[in-house]
Amino acid sequence: MDATTSMYVAQGIHGLAYGMVLFLIASGLNVIFGMMGILNLAHGAFFMLSAYFCYSVLNLTGNFWLALLLAPLFTAFFGIILERFFLRKMHAMGHMGELIMTLGVSLVILAAVKIFWGTENLPVKMPPILEGMVSLGGLEYPVYRLFIIGLAGVVLAIMTLLLYKTRLGKIVRAAVSDREMVNALGINIPVVFMVVFGVGTWMAGVAGVVIAPILTVFPGLADQVGMDAFLVVITGGFGSLLGAVIVSIIFGLLSSYGVQFLSQLAPVVMVGFMALVLAIRPSGLFGVKE
Amino acid sequence: MKCIGKSVLIFLCIFSLFSLTIYSPSTAMAAKAIPGSMAEKVPKVNAAFDVNKMGNMSDFDPSNPIIPTGDTIKIAVVWPFSGPGALNGEIAWIGFAWVAHDINKRGGIWVDGKKKLIEMIKADSMSKPDQAKKICERMVLQEKVNILVGTSGSNIQKIINETGATHKVLTVNIGSLADELNDATNFSRYNFMSSDSTEQIGRAMAYFYGQIRKKEKKFYILCQDYSFGHGLAEGFKTGLKEYYPEAQIVGEDYHKLFLTDFAPYLTKIKASGAEVIYTGDWTPDAGNLLKQSRQTGIMTPFANIFMDEPIMLHEVGVEGTKGLMHIDHYNMPNMFKNPGYVKYYSIWHKLWETKWKTAPFNSTLFAHGTGTIGSWTQQIYWMLSVVERAKSTDPEKVIKVWEGDTYKFVNGRIIKMRACDHKAIQDFEIAEYVTPEQQKVYFSIPPYHWFTGASGPGPAWLVPAAKALPWIDQKLERCADKNGWGE
Repeated sequence: MDATTSMYVAQGIHGLAYGMVLFLIASGLNVIFGMMGILNLAHGAFFMLSAYFCYSVLNLTGNFWLALLLAPLFTAFFGIILERFFLRKMHAMGHMGELIMTLGVSLVILAAVKIFWGTENLPVKMPPILEGMVSLGGLEYPVYRLFIIGLAGVVLAIMTLLLYKTRLGKIVRAAVSDREMVNALGINIPVVFMVVFGVGTWMAGVAGVVIAPILTVFPGLADQVGMDAFLVVITGGFGSLLGAVIVSIIFGLLSSYGVQFLSQLAPVVMVGFMALVLAIRPSGLFGVKE
Repeated sequence: MKCIGKSVLIFLCIFSLFSLTIYSPSTAMAAKAIPGSMAEKVPKVNAAFDVNKMGNMSDFDPSNPIIPTGDTIKIAVVWPFSGPGALNGEIAWIGFAWVAHDINKRGGIWVDGKKKLIEMIKADSMSKPDQAKKICERMVLQEKVNILVGTSGSNIQKIINETGATHKVLTVNIGSLADELNDATNFSRYNFMSSDSTEQIGRAMAYFYGQIRKKEKKFYILCQDYSFGHGLAEGFKTGLKEYYPEAQIVGEDYHKLFLTDFAPYLTKIKASGAEVIYTGDWTPDAGNLLKQSRQTGIMTPFANIFMDEPIMLHEVGVEGTKGLMHIDHYNMPNMFKNPGYVKYYSIWHKLWETKWKTAPFNSTLFAHGTGTIGSWTQQIYWMLSVVERAKSTDPEKVIKVWEGDTYKFVNGRIIKMRACDHKAIQDFEIAEYVTPEQQKVYFSIPPYHWFTGASGPGPAWLVPAAKALPWIDQKLERCADKNGWGE
């Protein structure tokens, strides 16, 4: 592969890797909104919280894989607590109450992070096996970024199987479509929604761990990535997993090729794409008209 | 024969000493004042920090500062103490608390007919302009502060300056580098910019590469996409034209603040064949840029101003941080050969080792008190020295003393306040990051290195002030027909 070709190919893989990170964050947000109708403004904070959990587990055990397993579970646990003891009661009061509640929770998480971990930048090392470069037909590419693409692919596969090939998935989809009917069939809807919320925050948790070795773990992490995730959800269509996947990849590619060809416009190219999509399809690329 | 042997031995000794002087850049700087440097231009300063007059610092703890109340000199510390920029607030706070503790232990400052203690008040800007406006107004109108001091972020500093100008209260800028803050449009008599500025940094770096290092020729500019980043880039480009015309800018990009993924920029940089990446990025961007470049196999050195945060440097490790070229607005070549500075440094470092046990002050970031922490701390000392010499907190009296004033920091750095536009003139140090074993050339006291887990400043060079004078806006009436020294 000549130098120019390898540069363009590298930009494509960078785009895919970043897109997959966005997918991991945005899909959790999307799952929660799609299934429960809650726009979880604390989603970015959960993502950040997981990066901090990852830091602590790594510090205690020195094992990244254990951190990848535990940190998202801890995060999901807090997500479940939020749903069970705070959001469930607010649900009857409508979306505004939920919005304010999740915003408040994000501020509480931010304050807690500062109390427990401080304000300084915390380092998270990637596992040695994922360090270094691999040769792809002459292109030297970082192993860790390929790992991100692979892991996101696995999560996507699990989510698809869970939603479309299992009984639980059927129940969830049915509950979204007609909550009363599913309830009448004797299925405990609040528990289903609690599980959905847990899964959504777990996905944010996975993203938090995956991104920690690439970014600095600090209290501004939620703001840094959270906004891009919201753009993905809005552009892909609220509640659409397919939309989240496709738009995440498009955003990733726009971001990397934008830097390559239109570097001055790179910072706004994602927002421009979102504006274009919403102008044509106000409900998002794969969103369903209410 | 014995006599000849002795003569040869003496000759060899002298020759060795001479050679050492030639080949050790740090030592060379100490030999005599470099033409155009502050030492040459200002042989006698108006005031200097005297370490022997310091108060007892043994009970100083930045997490639990002793803050006096009553009839005090009130200083508002306008910084973000919450939100993403909160760490900058902590970095500033330790400096303010340190200086206040020291001065108060000395008994305070004689002003307006009596000795007054220093009261530092945290004013949280949250890095948000509307909040900054509110808090500055409150500090002036309710708290009746004597001085507003800021900050990280030129947009916030602008608000501080405007508040001071409106209420005729002194404002001091120790942390924002944008040149436009003191241009013809924004200049206020009540504001003093004791920090360095963007064009100075850019030109100093260009001078270093063109006139001192004379090695790399291909530069890639990657800065943050706002006035500070663009200002730094412009300064560098201006400097290259002036000091290094044969240099080539092989690429120039500006990225959004708090960027997540630097890989696309790094791929472009790699393809450009750049030998040096020039960046003004500050944390967290600085850390993420460095980390991701090494993760993607790009080992090109960065010419930087804020890529010196120790936690981030440790994360990247010794190899990844080797070769960084860091311009510093506080450190000076040979400062560890200055006994006064070593005494000051030891007080700070010992307290960090033994007393500061609470986050964030127990982290490596605060271990040495150099770099930005050192610069901010010494600028506060300078400000209070001016107040002390004015014998008053009356802004008019302080302005009179500060305009054209010269001051020597504890580490030997000399700084001058240009009278016409209130911008500071100073030399700059540029240091090459080397492995811990090689840092003795700079860190010449035990343990002879900054840290063990990262590269740090080794060989260091001085860029004389004359080569990087702060930009002067001739449209500002007070500066018309004045040269870069304000004369």
